[in-house]
Amino acid sequence: MQLKKIIVILLVLPLFAFTMHKYYVSLCEIEYLKEKQSIQITLGVFIEDLEFTLNKNSGKRLNLGSKTEVGNIDDHYKKYLNEHLVISVNGKNQPYKFIGKEYDGDIVRFYLEINNIKELKSIEVTNNILINEFDNQKNIVKIKVKDFNKTFYLNKSNDKSLLKF
Amino acid sequence: MKKLLVAAILAIFSTAFFAQEVEEKTAPQKAHYNTSKFKQLNEELPTPNNEHKASGASGHEYTQQQVDYKMNIVLDDENQKIFGEETVTYHNNSKDNLEYLWLQLDQNMRAPDSNTPEISGGGPDVMYSPSKFAKTFMGKPFQGGFNIEFIKDVNGKEVSYMINKTMMRINLPKPLASGEKYVFKIKWWYNVNDYIADRGRSGYEPFPDGNNLYVIAQFFPRLAVYNNVEGWQNLQFLGRSEFALEFGNYDVTITTPKDHILNATGVLQNPKDVFTSAQNKRYEDSKNAFENPVFIVTPEEALAAEKGRSKETKNWHFYAENVRDFAFASSRKLIWDAMAVNLNGKTVMAYSLYPNEGNPLWEEHSTRAVANTLKVYSEFTFDYPYPHATSINAERQGMEYPMICWNGGRPDKDGKYTDRTKKGMIGVITHEVGHNFFPMIVNSDERMWTWMDEGINSFVEIYAEYKYDPILFPLTDHPKNIVRYMSGDQSGLEPIMSQGEDLTDFGSNAYGKPAAGLFILRETVMGHELFNHAFKTYAERWKFKHPTPADFFRTMEDASAVDLDWFWRGWFYTTGANDIGIKEIKKYYVTDKPTERAENMAKRYGITIDKLPPALYLVSEDSPEFKNDLKSKKPEDYNLLSDYINTNFSAEEKAALKAPKYFYELVFEKPGDLVMPIIVEFEFEDGTKERKLYPAEIWRNNDNEVTKVFPSSKAITKITVDPDEQTADVNLNNNSWPKKTENKFEKFKKDQIKA
Repeated sequence: MQLKKIIVILLVLPLFAFTMHKYYVSLCEIEYLKEKQSIQITLGVFIEDLEFTLNKNSGKRLNLGSKTEVGNIDDHYKKYLNEHLVISVNGKNQPYKFIGKEYDGDIVRFYLEINNIKELKSIEVTNNILINEFDNQKNIVKIKVKDFNKTFYLNKSNDKSLLKF
Repeated sequence: MKKLLVAAILAIFSTAFFAQEVEEKTAPQKAHYNTSKFKQLNEELPTPNNEHKASGASGHEYTQQQVDYKMNIVLDDENQKIFGEETVTYHNNSKDNLEYLWLQLDQNMRAPDSNTPEISGGGPDVMYSPSKFAKTFMGKPFQGGFNIEFIKDVNGKEVSYMINKTMMRINLPKPLASGEKYVFKIKWWYNVNDYIADRGRSGYEPFPDGNNLYVIAQFFPRLAVYNNVEGWQNLQFLGRSEFALEFGNYDVTITTPKDHILNATGVLQNPKDVFTSAQNKRYEDSKNAFENPVFIVTPEEALAAEKGRSKETKNWHFYAENVRDFAFASSRKLIWDAMAVNLNGKTVMAYSLYPNEGNPLWEEHSTRAVANTLKVYSEFTFDYPYPHATSINAERQGMEYPMICWNGGRPDKDGKYTDRTKKGMIGVITHEVGHNFFPMIVNSDERMWTWMDEGINSFVEIYAEYKYDPILFPLTDHPKNIVRYMSGDQSGLEPIMSQGEDLTDFGSNAYGKPAAGLFILRETVMGHELFNHAFKTYAERWKFKHPTPADFFRTMEDASAVDLDWFWRGWFYTTGANDIGIKEIKKYYVTDKPTERAENMAKRYGITIDKLPPALYLVSEDSPEFKNDLKSKKPEDYNLLSDYINTNFSAEEKAALKAPKYFYELVFEKPGDLVMPIIVEFEFEDGTKERKLYPAEIWRNNDNEVTKVFPSSKAITKITVDPDEQTADVNLNNNSWPKKTENKFEKFKKDQIKA
């Protein structure tokens, strides 16, 4: 049986359509570079799941990553990301700059950056991307500061990861 | 004489052996078991016997039960109920006497007392639609599950039975002796579920026009497998881990409304009774349609049929030989197209049945994808032995049965579809039709080992999809698409060798990872010739039988003479990942002056330097012994070497000799737990490239670090480990020399600004 179908069996009411990829997961890699005073954020999400969600939210067919993709797609991305990926640095919410996106097979990858962080005392990531739509969605957050690495697994019951230095 | 002896000793021990100091420790060290990554798997695999041989083949004492079914089924479309009377003939081919028989009652998974919802934890959901809320907290549960009306023996006498959730035990009046058979009859019915609302691998899809499309499976009490591996395979059905069933012959009659179109496992015995004469002619003619699919039931006929609601019925009669299960699909809405496939002179039919809602996508691709799957899988295994393979369009499905499977994927209402929809639909058809080979024919125990059918099938699927559309399904996606999973936190990983219900990430563990592993074996470790022969041998050996993981592991080695125990151990029995990198690159130059290491060696033998046999030495660029003038010297500038060459080789041989000028010491590190071959790409000053593959066994004696010397006539400007990402390396940051200083983020940012 194709993978997806199965996971769904435990859901009383599935909200999503048929999908081919094998898991519900996103990967958010965050690295703080002191010499650049920069927090670099790379976020990879399955296009199909994001498309389902953005289509639903906008009531439009956005055709992500295809020839018929809508012109203002980045506005849709920015709006969704700002609502569902919130980063707080040293106890204060910090907006991030949308550097761009790339499509890589089934995945869309976003490049986001927070500048002018002279010192990193704490970082909190709230990531509930796709969690409203997919019960089994797992959002992995990897934080790297110099040689320190920490991985968080976020899901519907816990969408926050906090690191203090 | 002494000089000769010294020379011999030096020849043998020319490595760094003598440089090691013997360290004296005061506390005794702890011993350990054999922890080598290359340790043979004898302790993990079951002891071979005469049913499952050490070679991986079945032995001369191998037996297998047979179960034949004769069934009369009635599909009540108006009330979404299904009724059945089945006569089961159980052949006890084992050497054992059986006190009881176990049957699977999979429909009980959706009975009100099912354990399936009880065992799924996770707290409250993020949101509840009103219908979900009502169903979960307020309403009566769906009245699913089997209603068993009676079980009787051939004389009409009631048979004693006991139901434990999804399993039913028949208590035999006296033990069934080896070689004997037992015949009994079961009458049952159940409420068919709306699978769009309640999920499940079978049920019906309601359409806005009031019609239902039924995909019916796991719909009758079926005998579980009895063998000498698990005894009775009677693990409960919880909804995820699939089935373990015996082969047998099925004689089935299905009663449907007169305006339904239906196909099933097996060959239709009465086409004239169920088709119009025009349809029947097309059904016969399609057997010669080798080029393109042709209609048996046209879109127009389906459109006309879906408007009616016939109260009359008709009977569809099917016969299926040597299958492990039976399933069917039925609706007024179905179009039916067909194409003949030639497999080494034998004709097999590729069929698709789909509603008009599936077009134009289905008309264009389904039957062609079925035909392509049969061809590619037959090349990898054996010629498809069944008379047809059918793809049914059932939305949000992807589920396999012998000869027939359910597949999702439909265009939008306006008939438009994206490449992603098309890719999804072709992918799921290829996957489910492919399941005919694994596990419908090579019949592993799905409930115990999900990877044996899902993983092996997902592996062959890669090549079938690539053959169908190399742009939509590029091979370069593999095996790197599994890196994300394998690089994850260890707390979320289980070894592939785990039972399906226990997996955190079912899809990655049981589908993606085994498929990626076999892909690495075929493309990188074994090569096509050795892999293909061994893989085919496994399929041939175990078709229509019940193989175990050991039979697969053993056959792959037995038929190829490649020791793969290290691969099975790492990839299948552990959660380890591969990470190989470059630790250090050192440049060496040639000299004829003995180095300090040589002096030390001479001392060890109690001789002076001048007693050492004539030799050349390599000096590292960063060693104090290095002199700048060595840089300009080529090896053949030393008379010692040029004399040797001149006296020992002909002019022709001399011309063919390599002239290395640079000597590189490559130090590879391995932070990852897995062992893998090291694939290295050297890029030279003139822009040319060279590849070198060091087999995985290079890690035998040191699991952390290995060193190789690489001679080259040109200076190396760049070295990359695993440049094509063939080994699922989870960390590419250490794969290049010189080290990349710019990370991926900065490169993207720079490109973005440029654009």
